[in-house]
Amino acid sequence: MDSLVAEGLGKCYILSRDSEGKSPRSFWRWLKNPLGDSESTAKTRDFWALRDVGFRVEPGTILGVIGPNGAGKTTLLKILARVITPTTGRVVGVGRVVSLLELGAGFDPDLPAHDNILMNAAILGIPRAEAQRRIKDILEFAEVEQFTGSPLRHYSSGMYLRLAFSVAIHMNPQILLADEILAVGDQAFQERCLQKVAELGRDGLTVLFVSHDMDAIMRICNRAMWLHQGAIRKLGDPEEVVDEYQNAVWSQADIAQSERGRRSNRYAEVLSVRLVSSTGKDIGGAPVSEDVFIKTRFRTNKPNLTVKSALDLSTKGQLIFRTADTEARPLPQAGVYEVLVKIPRDLLAELPYVATVGCIFKRDTETKEYPLLMYNALTFLVYGTDTPDAPASGRLDRVGYISPKLEWTVRQEAYAAGA
Amino acid sequence: MLLALRRWLGLATPVVAGADGFHDRKSQKWVIEPARVGLIARAEELWRYRRILWFFAARRIKERYEDKTLGRFWMFFQPLAPILISTMIFGNMLQVPSDGVPYFLFFLAGMSCWRIFERGVIRVTRSLEQNRGLIKKVYFPRLIAPISSVAPALSEFGVLFTLLVLTCIYYFVKDGVFYLRLGPQLLVGVLAVGLAAFLSVSVGLWTTVMQTRHKDVQFSIRYFMQLWHYVTPVIFPLSELLKLLPPQLHFVAYLNPMSPVVEMYKWGVLGIGHVSVASVATGLTMMLVIFSGGVVYFNRSEAASVDRL
Repeated sequence: MDSLVAEGLGKCYILSRDSEGKSPRSFWRWLKNPLGDSESTAKTRDFWALRDVGFRVEPGTILGVIGPNGAGKTTLLKILARVITPTTGRVVGVGRVVSLLELGAGFDPDLPAHDNILMNAAILGIPRAEAQRRIKDILEFAEVEQFTGSPLRHYSSGMYLRLAFSVAIHMNPQILLADEILAVGDQAFQERCLQKVAELGRDGLTVLFVSHDMDAIMRICNRAMWLHQGAIRKLGDPEEVVDEYQNAVWSQADIAQSERGRRSNRYAEVLSVRLVSSTGKDIGGAPVSEDVFIKTRFRTNKPNLTVKSALDLSTKGQLIFRTADTEARPLPQAGVYEVLVKIPRDLLAELPYVATVGCIFKRDTETKEYPLLMYNALTFLVYGTDTPDAPASGRLDRVGYISPKLEWTVRQEAYAAGA
Repeated sequence: MLLALRRWLGLATPVVAGADGFHDRKSQKWVIEPARVGLIARAEELWRYRRILWFFAARRIKERYEDKTLGRFWMFFQPLAPILISTMIFGNMLQVPSDGVPYFLFFLAGMSCWRIFERGVIRVTRSLEQNRGLIKKVYFPRLIAPISSVAPALSEFGVLFTLLVLTCIYYFVKDGVFYLRLGPQLLVGVLAVGLAAFLSVSVGLWTTVMQTRHKDVQFSIRYFMQLWHYVTPVIFPLSELLKLLPPQLHFVAYLNPMSPVVEMYKWGVLGIGHVSVASVATGLTMMLVIFSGGVVYFNRSEAASVDRL
């Protein structure tokens, strides 16, 4: 029996033109018909955040949900969590649903862990006695035993996440909804979470897992769903779906694809070009608010070489900038080296970027330079965190190919000119 | 016609389970549909979730008195100041009759009951908005938010009632008369407190939905409550109002459901006031109308209101 069946699921938001019923006119309309939907008579525009989404999930499936911002991933999860009501369609499911839609949602920061666990259990409809029996396991898994007495607002965000995840899995769910949440904690705990999810999946837990991190999707999911503009673009084997998704992201960038560049020359061979986080972990996408690095690994076969590297970053077929290392770096011995270039936070916009990496090798004794250029060596997506107040599609302050955070000041001049 | 009414009430939709899981039922199946869940299913669900009411209520009360340096002092002074001023104006200067008890006591009694309703409505009105963070992230029956928001109003009542007892002791020491009724009669007072809280939720169910559409409701509701205050026998006894009306129009005075509640309270606590079968019956009928309408309205508008939050 399927653990979750969705048919024709849709969610329509009505965007009102006269600023959401705040004008006196809309008030009169409402007075005339207070019981009806005030929107039905107003000048409105429909926006389908999700349209005709249907799928079946068997118990034990770990379904990865991918897609660009505004594709409807969160909307889908919120419908399944019953936070919002769908406009069309129907979902039939079996068993208890536990959702991790946002870090520590449903926690009261003023209460200690113990009380929060009980409150969460109450929200999930779990009897008090049953919840009390599980408290010890929950605290143990979350590794917060020594802080049980202090209110949650004294917790670090990592502890918060650990507690939230621990509570969720110990509430004995049959369906777990996780929205981007595992991207927060430290790596060791993340690893434990993923393993735990995989383990519970083998025991028959159904998981819907939204992530921008393609590596995590590939690792733990046994199915993947690609949402695009509110509809399912592809559903199936995670490897295929992720590949196709990344190809589509790539082709959006539309850079001359015929030229793939060379990977090796007489002195060196490039092993990989990767996007890594500040902790050195491979990542599939770059969060706007974090520093990320582009790491190029190569092997040299001769001593006494130097390397000078450069990076081209483009998006939507446009070269945004080229930046080059200011000096040639020595590579005294033959061996494996890595070049890291830091892309500071709050520089790029929420777009897919394509990086072309160049490394110019030179032997100390020669004047001739041997370049290696890897066109489109790396495609990655820069993403922000969705905030309900500013949907990704309609952000007026995020236009253009980059979106650096600059410093603004306003000051009054000492005296008016010409006065 | 009957079918349409049933559908409007949300009774026609099959009883559908919530996504919270039925650990106690055999079939653990649940359904999510655009259609509204029937009122009976809603009531069942509310009962299953009753325990979170306490968490919500405790949270609301706590944030009321937290981080105020003079917390205890404000707790007593804030309600006391307007009562003292009103006593000066209405009791001493205008000589408003007070059913034979000192005016201060009379006014304090009426006010302590009225304040449950007044503060309750104002708080319930803001309840959906105030719990937005939780409502948009986890599921629980939305009705919990308005219901739990009466809690601070009841805690404020506790303060006023303490003042009332202290005042009675003061008059006992001063005049040798103990006004407080310490008998089974007091249960009527307890009932009145419950009814005041119930009515504030009933009215609040309407206003909290309106508040999600029109943010100015929470401001206008204060003026509205002030007007309501003046037609409720708090400043004056109901008997004085009835004197102004011909007997066949007495029901007009009873139409205000807070009138019998305040009178019941004063009768239960101090043994004064005008309580009749007609007044209580009219008041209760009005309450039920407001309540059931409010529940249906809330249930109908719930999904749209959450989207608008």
